[in-house]
Amino acid sequence: MSELGATLAAVPQTWFATPIGAIGLTLAAYFLGVRLFKLMRHPSWCPPVIIAALLIAAVIALLPIGIDDYNRGAAWLMLLLGPATVALAVPLYQQLGQIRALWKPIVLTLPLSATLAACYAVLIAWLLGAPPEVLASLAPKSVTSPIALSLTQELGGSTALLMGALMTTGITAIFGVEWLSRWMRIRDPRLIGLALGINGHALGTVRAFEISHQAGAFASLGMSLTGAFTAIVLPLVWHLWA
Amino acid sequence: MSVLRGFLWLLVFLLLGQAIVLWLPIALPAGVIGMLLLTLWFCQRGGMNADVVAVSQPLIAMLALLIMPGVVEIFFVAGRFADQAGAILTALLLGTLASVASSLWLMRRCLPPETSHE
Repeated sequence: MSELGATLAAVPQTWFATPIGAIGLTLAAYFLGVRLFKLMRHPSWCPPVIIAALLIAAVIALLPIGIDDYNRGAAWLMLLLGPATVALAVPLYQQLGQIRALWKPIVLTLPLSATLAACYAVLIAWLLGAPPEVLASLAPKSVTSPIALSLTQELGGSTALLMGALMTTGITAIFGVEWLSRWMRIRDPRLIGLALGINGHALGTVRAFEISHQAGAFASLGMSLTGAFTAIVLPLVWHLWA
Repeated sequence: MSVLRGFLWLLVFLLLGQAIVLWLPIALPAGVIGMLLLTLWFCQRGGMNADVVAVSQPLIAMLALLIMPGVVEIFFVAGRFADQAGAILTALLLGTLASVASSLWLMRRCLPPETSHE
């Protein structure tokens, strides 16, 4: 009997010895998260991603495996982020006509919006007495994660804190855009998409694709331009100031 | 087969992006460069490649799934910055709401309404 117990206890380790366990867990949590999201009647403050992430965290905490075991396997899934980013060229190309017609207002407003997205948070944290390491981790918070990670390393911030800041920002941006656009009576999917992409990086872009294809295309545009602009300007400004 | 051929195209452009990043003075992700190159290629040939379209739909639908492992990690590192939590959360929440408000306001002022396609 105790032998059976020992074998049973070894099952999670066997599962997570290869990436299959982590990938299976992520997929299962994702579909369960989407289903719970529907059951909870689509709460905007709690996107399916968060529900699913909480489920995964709970499973990792309950099973005799660590976050490192999970991360090792999930890295295989995250590898697909590269090709998925390239695939965003399709919605981008489909909206090229719209974007071309609007290039002037976009070029005028986007750099200012991207700058403000970084400045507000850094300024508030600085006023509240946060140390430079924290400031450096917060500055790239509105940028898509591959760019943000290389930026925060260059500025001397913490990678883990940055990931947390990215997610908090993404959720706040989704909630903020939904709430403020209703309050400001904005229904234009292009505008909502741009605001989601500039402020809420990949999380905002995912949300924009749920609204419509057009909003998603403008969100990918906002996300890429904010990423490129911040990647160029932030290190320059940071080193001038510090 | 179409999906696999499309996936190969995506990988080719991602690899191209990785090569080009080496020459750039700033750290841009290879995926973003690949996306821009692919868009340029579509423009140059005057239309999209059907294989790439076939693979892009499921991949874009998967984006939420792909960023989830990063989200899971927060729950395990939150304790390290507990003493700064107040400042960090205030900065993130207020800062993001403020920047969303200002970008919505700016865009509404500068973007012409949708009906006039100029």
